[in-house]
Amino acid sequence: MRKNIRTGLSLLLAGAMTATMLTGCGQSMADDAGAATATADNTADIAEETTQQTEDSTKEQNSETQASGEAVTITAWHDNDEAMMNALADVVNERLASENITLRFEKKADVTGQIRLYGTDAANGPDMYLFAHDSLGGFAEMGILEPVGNLISADKEKDLLPMTLEAASYKDEQYLMPVYYETLLFMYNKDLWEGDIPSTTEELYEYMVEHTDANSGTYALVNQHSNSYNVAPFINGFGGYIIDKDANPGLNLQETKDAISYNKKFAELQADGDYNTVTALFSEGKAAAIIGGPWLVSGIKEAGIDLGIKSLCDFTLPNGEVMTPYSGVQCLGVLKYAAENKKEAITRVLEVLAEPEAGITLAKEFNCAPANTKAYEDADVAANEMILAMEKSAEKAVPMSNIPEMGVMWGPAESLLAAVNKSGEDVDTAADKYQEEALQAIADMH
Amino acid sequence: MKNSRKKFTPWLYNLPAFILIGIIVLFPILYTGYISFTNMNLYHWQDYTFVGADNYVRALGKLNSDFFSALWTTIGWTAANMILDVGLAYILAVGLNAEGLRARRIYKTLIIFPWAMPAYVSILAWRVGMYNTEFGLLNKILVALGFEKADFLSKNVPAFLSCMVLNLWMSLPYMIVMFDGALQSIDRSMYESAILDGAGAWQKNWYITIPSLRKVMAPVVIMTTFTTFKQFDIVYLLTMQKGSVSGSTMQTIITYAHQNAFVSNNYGLSSAVSIVIFVIIIAFSMWTNRAAKET
Amino acid sequence: MIQSKGTSRSVKKSIRLICLNLFYICVCFLGLVPILYIFILSVSGGSGALTTGLSILPEKFTLENYRRIIVEEPFLRWMANSIILSVGTMVIAMGTSVLASYAFSRFRFVGKNVSMQILLLLNAFPQILSMFAIFRLFRLMNLLDSHVGLIFVYAGSMCIFSIWNMKGYFDSIPIEIEEASKIDGASNIQLIARIILPLARPAIIVTAVMVLIFVWNEYLFATTFMLKEESYTLAGGLYQLQANDYSRSWPLFSAAAILVSVPILVIFFCFQKYMVSGLTAGGVKG
Repeated sequence: MRKNIRTGLSLLLAGAMTATMLTGCGQSMADDAGAATATADNTADIAEETTQQTEDSTKEQNSETQASGEAVTITAWHDNDEAMMNALADVVNERLASENITLRFEKKADVTGQIRLYGTDAANGPDMYLFAHDSLGGFAEMGILEPVGNLISADKEKDLLPMTLEAASYKDEQYLMPVYYETLLFMYNKDLWEGDIPSTTEELYEYMVEHTDANSGTYALVNQHSNSYNVAPFINGFGGYIIDKDANPGLNLQETKDAISYNKKFAELQADGDYNTVTALFSEGKAAAIIGGPWLVSGIKEAGIDLGIKSLCDFTLPNGEVMTPYSGVQCLGVLKYAAENKKEAITRVLEVLAEPEAGITLAKEFNCAPANTKAYEDADVAANEMILAMEKSAEKAVPMSNIPEMGVMWGPAESLLAAVNKSGEDVDTAADKYQEEALQAIADMH
Repeated sequence: MKNSRKKFTPWLYNLPAFILIGIIVLFPILYTGYISFTNMNLYHWQDYTFVGADNYVRALGKLNSDFFSALWTTIGWTAANMILDVGLAYILAVGLNAEGLRARRIYKTLIIFPWAMPAYVSILAWRVGMYNTEFGLLNKILVALGFEKADFLSKNVPAFLSCMVLNLWMSLPYMIVMFDGALQSIDRSMYESAILDGAGAWQKNWYITIPSLRKVMAPVVIMTTFTTFKQFDIVYLLTMQKGSVSGSTMQTIITYAHQNAFVSNNYGLSSAVSIVIFVIIIAFSMWTNRAAKET
Repeated sequence: MIQSKGTSRSVKKSIRLICLNLFYICVCFLGLVPILYIFILSVSGGSGALTTGLSILPEKFTLENYRRIIVEEPFLRWMANSIILSVGTMVIAMGTSVLASYAFSRFRFVGKNVSMQILLLLNAFPQILSMFAIFRLFRLMNLLDSHVGLIFVYAGSMCIFSIWNMKGYFDSIPIEIEEASKIDGASNIQLIARIILPLARPAIIVTAVMVLIFVWNEYLFATTFMLKEESYTLAGGLYQLQANDYSRSWPLFSAAAILVSVPILVIFFCFQKYMVSGLTAGGVKG
């Protein structure tokens, strides 16, 4: 008996230790929140002062107060090409140097995961982040984003493509600031492709049959055939969908299943379909063509390949529709605490980014399709083959869904494609199985 | 007086370690337990409230046939890996300690190389360098020998074996080093007297080496068993990383939990699933413990 | 007669040694194939590094990838961070766990076995699940984006492992040795410092190296909790380099992988001779 008591006591000791820690935490959690609001209040005061000084926030006055005030640095996280982000920052910084505002991009692996953690942490988190628009819904529901519409007046955004603004909006509120967009393209090696590029997918398939020898490792066309983003041109073209706007998954729709079966025929001639595999095959000259995006270009150019580009919308499917890729709009999101603390500076940064100049720089140096329509008036941009192809695709392309449920669809959709393409499972049974999984994942969100 | 001081001495020694463990290991478990009773998810990120045992009802609903097949896979995975891991490491370590093997230091250093690499580097290197259908060495050898290319990761059984080979590759160095250290703790004179008694290599191993190692190695083997049981990286990165799903549907209970609770960003639910799985691991280890004692 | 028997035995012995050597050469080679592959990738130029052919040697040899990592990335900075974290973690983790495993090995106290079992079970909780809680806690304690915070995470994660890893070895050290010293009037702490530490050196060094390798190779906490590029560790920085599909360069990544591993190998090679047991045959009987 005594022995037991002693065991109990020692365990209690350990327990008590953690218990005090826990309660301590609860308390300091409250304290911390208090401190956070206190600092927020402080900065709000400062902000108030500045607004008082600049009754109507015209640019000159604004720059005056900023210059007389202290320098403001805006940090933005991204998961992108660093050279590209630095070029974008340079454009902004040059314009805002006189106002003492600096924009700094920091590369972070897994930006969305990091924003989920740090999105309410004013002390450590960033002010903004740049990411594709499909993650918007989740962040908006979390309540960590300040709608960009509250920061920048609509007339500054009048030149932005309506498609990009639509992608940046969730539940009738514009949360994000579109910067550029991208779609998948048909990219081919001019030295390897024989004859003209076909105009129908059936002809494309015939070409692939003739020019593919898997055992010696030469391919006509490679694609990440089990990645739903890369199969979307088929799915959308067949009239299917991965998820509709009311959050109903469509994996076992007949149209989606037809598209998946049709894609399987191509997948059999497209190697493993892993990102590294297909890009290496193409840059090595083992594959004559690849379905990919502008992000591949720098690597391809480095490999010395003479690159030809075609829009996927130039290929007609057997049902008479054209291949219809997703469009992804890369947008800047502003975190709530940053909008409270650095409102003026952030607004200025957004205003500069909404102008054509930023888009022109990205287009010229990095083949990005700008969100600003005025940017396309620049002669170089207008002559860029890749951007033209994306512009053409953009007319038809379906913006990725940005509802929160989209986030859990990638997994089941990819598993379905892999089951059909790689494990040889029957389309109907696999589609039912993963539709079920998708429904479960959506139910699990609430 | 002296007696009571003595009573506390062990705890005094343990205190620093327990404080550290309390903060880094115990606190997160308790916190996870706390979150599991709330509705913290995307829609209630900052305004979460207590919802009672709701999440547990849902978490238990996930203990379906898929879960149990994942559980059996995990048990099979742990058993197969541990038997091979311990067996191979023992043989290799004994060999390394053979008399007259001059180059043993070089061998030891080379053998631990896989251990010196960050896990994700090793896993990606194997995925691309070994198993890949286009660039993988295994497929290159197959093609060179005139066979068809094989996809090692698209079906469950080959994927299980591929994961196992990789796991052994990654965990053997540690086991070998531990066995090696333990072997050197054995009193040499025991062998000398055994030789005088005319014992052969087998007898020496069976009657001296293995019994002497048992006590030293037991904690190491137990720890490794747990690590193997909760292994996540290998299975996940090899077969189900986003963008590189391989087609196999092999699941361990940790990947099952990940897929069923974590992708949905519902922290309340996923915490409940974590706790349920934690309880299952505890129950399982107690059961094996008792089984081990009875035999 | 006797002499010839001796030579035949020595011939047999050397044949056995040759076989053994061949066996280990094969084992090492097989084990090193994936690493050789990484190495070859790292010294091949251009993007054509992933060749479909069965070539062993790279088409053109270049150290460009190594140069790029050392010069263009804050490599030395990352390495310094890795060293700081490893040493810090080792001090804290070993300091706490040597004391604890000594207590578990030498003292008889109520709750000893239960505590050991509880520690083991606590360790069964997958660490990845703890991240969110530790994040919350560290945010309150202002330990995010700080090396001290990370050292605590690592030390805590390795503490249970270290206790268990060393306890078995401590048990194997005959208690008689200590009792002799106790009679000489040595205190427990002195005992640990003078007797246990030297005797348990192999286990302690192996455990310390394990801790070091864990810290050296850990990337998830390192990239989640550290926010500035200049405060990353080697493994974390490397992970950032390749995490994104769009920026992944295999040759660069391979070169970085080799560079990360080399310090560990050097350390292991240096410490190997200390891993020889402090237990001599005479010591046991004495």
